[in-house]
Amino acid sequence: MDKQAEQRTITRDGQLLLGKMAKEQVETVWDRLAAQQPQCGYCEMGLSCRICAMGPCRIDPFGEGPQKGVCGADADIIVARNLGRMIAGGAAAHSDHGRDLVEVLAAVAAGEAPGYQITDEEKLRRLAAEYGLETDGKDTLVLAGELAAALQEEYGTRKGYLTMTGRAPEKRRQLWQAQGISPRGIDRETSEMMHRTHMGVDNGWQSILLHGLRNALSDGWGGSMIATEVSDILFGTPRPGPNTVNIGVLKEDQVNIIVHGHNPVVSEMLVQACEDPELVALAREKGAAGINLAGLCCTGNELLMRHGIPVAGNHLMTELVIGTGAVEMMIVDYQCIMPALGALAPCYHTRMISTSDKARFPGMVHREFHPDNAAELARELVREAVENFANRGETYIPVQAVPSVGGFSVEAILDALGGTPKPLIDAIVAGKIRGAVGIVGCNNPKIKHDYGHVTLTKKLIEQDYLVVDTGCAAVANAKAGFKVAEAIRYAGPGLREVCGSLGIPPVLHMGSCVDNVRILVLAAALANALQVDISDLPLAGAAPEWYSEKAVSIGAYFVASGVYTVLGPLPPIAGSMNVVKLLTEGLNEVVGACFAVEPDPLKAAELIMGHIEGKRRALGLTARD
Amino acid sequence: MKKVQVHPERCLGCRQCMFACAAAHSRSQEAVGALAEQPRPRARVHVAAAGRHYLGFPNRCHHCEPAPCLLACLPGAISREPATGTVMIDPDLCINCASCAMACPFGVLRYAADWTAPAAKTVAIKCDNCLDRQLAGRLPACVEACKTGALTFEESDVALERKSREVARSLAVDGERETLLPPTVALLLEMKNGLAASNDAADQ
Repeated sequence: MDKQAEQRTITRDGQLLLGKMAKEQVETVWDRLAAQQPQCGYCEMGLSCRICAMGPCRIDPFGEGPQKGVCGADADIIVARNLGRMIAGGAAAHSDHGRDLVEVLAAVAAGEAPGYQITDEEKLRRLAAEYGLETDGKDTLVLAGELAAALQEEYGTRKGYLTMTGRAPEKRRQLWQAQGISPRGIDRETSEMMHRTHMGVDNGWQSILLHGLRNALSDGWGGSMIATEVSDILFGTPRPGPNTVNIGVLKEDQVNIIVHGHNPVVSEMLVQACEDPELVALAREKGAAGINLAGLCCTGNELLMRHGIPVAGNHLMTELVIGTGAVEMMIVDYQCIMPALGALAPCYHTRMISTSDKARFPGMVHREFHPDNAAELARELVREAVENFANRGETYIPVQAVPSVGGFSVEAILDALGGTPKPLIDAIVAGKIRGAVGIVGCNNPKIKHDYGHVTLTKKLIEQDYLVVDTGCAAVANAKAGFKVAEAIRYAGPGLREVCGSLGIPPVLHMGSCVDNVRILVLAAALANALQVDISDLPLAGAAPEWYSEKAVSIGAYFVASGVYTVLGPLPPIAGSMNVVKLLTEGLNEVVGACFAVEPDPLKAAELIMGHIEGKRRALGLTARD
Repeated sequence: MKKVQVHPERCLGCRQCMFACAAAHSRSQEAVGALAEQPRPRARVHVAAAGRHYLGFPNRCHHCEPAPCLLACLPGAISREPATGTVMIDPDLCINCASCAMACPFGVLRYAADWTAPAAKTVAIKCDNCLDRQLAGRLPACVEACKTGALTFEESDVALERKSREVARSLAVDGERETLLPPTVALLLEMKNGLAASNDAADQ
């Protein structure tokens, strides 16, 4: 076995594919990381500023060189501005994803989106009522149109608050008001962050960071929440169901089509097209046994949650999947799609297709999806993928797929509990389940692939902490085998008993990265049931392998919502001890929760367990030392 | 005599010295013009990634005395400039044989086309102490670019004396080594150490 490959990933499929691609001299993300070393220390510490043309500037952390940028901004201001803009980038990405779904909803209402439909009418009516719309006896499509307009309004609303923040506990909302961080509009907070961090605007590093929390809340209780809810309305609210994961989901004898990205708008149409009898017949004619659709990253998670479509891998597997030589076509939408993929695909026979008007990639063919052409275009692309089957060379699919169960929306979890959160609360009170931890976020080649996610998860469930996960973390844990009912054998006695009696795994797959809002909604439901704040609950969050701006926004809205959150990699803040102290201690005084940074997942587990036991003690529950 | 001194513990790995060096050795001697030139100007200083934590290490010619490269050069293309002790390469005489690279203990020689060499000829290139800039009263380009003091232009004994004082200060009364690093840099290194240790543990 290739030693280098073993150092890069804990996954068997990843190691084998890395070994193969190294022999073929195909470059991957790990090679590019090595080529970038050493990475710039100013940038790692957040001490470089490229905001204006008097700069670029950097602050010497050793104290002898320049201590101020040309404008006079010191290390605290520069670090805070840079972090603020990362949050804005992440919040913008999630919220714009949400907007695209609302536009599809509006198009469905207008009858301009053949192929799309209202799948969860009950949720449509529930959400419409939440937005104060009259629902009784109203035609579904008329109501969908009204709801789409109300949701679009949230982006630039003049009412001064976001409707879905009403789901947060009363205490939490009052705290946001008191701290001046209640989000006033989705686009407004991102826009204001860009304004504040312009040269000569907000030079209070504390006020920039507080606005960062507000910006993140506009994502968590705004843009992302809209993305999740509207996806459920259009494509169905997830229910638990079986699926399979890892590179073994590719089929030697079938046409393999991969969807990669985040937005289910494109991938859902491909699900339909791949089931088209005419196209399946064409595949048989071309010598294939059928058409196999699989997902990567979060668009994969969206399909897994709703249809049990298999997922081939997470972020760091995206290049390796093509290395199998078994992928006829990869269709991407947006976010986390490495531009390297376009140059990699011609090493094999894979055809690369970009689909979003806002996301182009070198070496990909651009075929733009819109609500009016999506169903037809999806069929065209599947046809082309089938025709590409004849060009397939040697394939290498060295592992068997692992079974997993996904689809744990909040609705599904409550159903599993018998309709109310009470059985979960009882189990927590009795100490059978110590608390719950959301393990979320990306992969980052600086951390051994999937090691952070899997090690942390394993440690926590062993000690009776229930884990819910999303995104790349969710795929890592599914591959590790934690998501079948039998996985309770990995759990401690209390968690094993509770999950065993409910027939659920000890690690619950809650969806894609916008679906982190499902965790917020669940936390709010628990807090409301107990009439406490989210920050009083025995909960924690972790992003052991995060890399993206979206993860910074997620971490910030978790903390601002009252959830203690442990990050694996250190964000670019080391240049300001003031910022470090505020984020890792001071925020406790502001929002009742803070960040911690711990790259070692075993030590992160200790931090999380200590935090949760502290919360249990404060609630008067049994607590471990 | 002032020389470029390297203090690797101060290097943040930003590679601005490499960029400034390449620009200073271009025909136009400034960054924007340099980017448009053919052949592309090359850096004479190289920031390598040191150790498992990928810390920056600026590596440049030490202008050794005696200089192994000078002794190894068969066509006599390498000589010493007497006033500054700078070891120089004559691109007209260089035959691109790589003997100097084999002799050099620091691995600082590179081979490339250069605007000072005959057209299309590949020659040995390395640091020339920015002699032209020094004559004009300017700092060597790498030193000018470095904002953390990882590269300084000073007398060797002054630099060594300062270093002695720093090492002495770093020894606390109980013999424990005190960190000389500011808390911000110490935090970054601690996190990088933690990450590397965690990856090591994962390999077990």
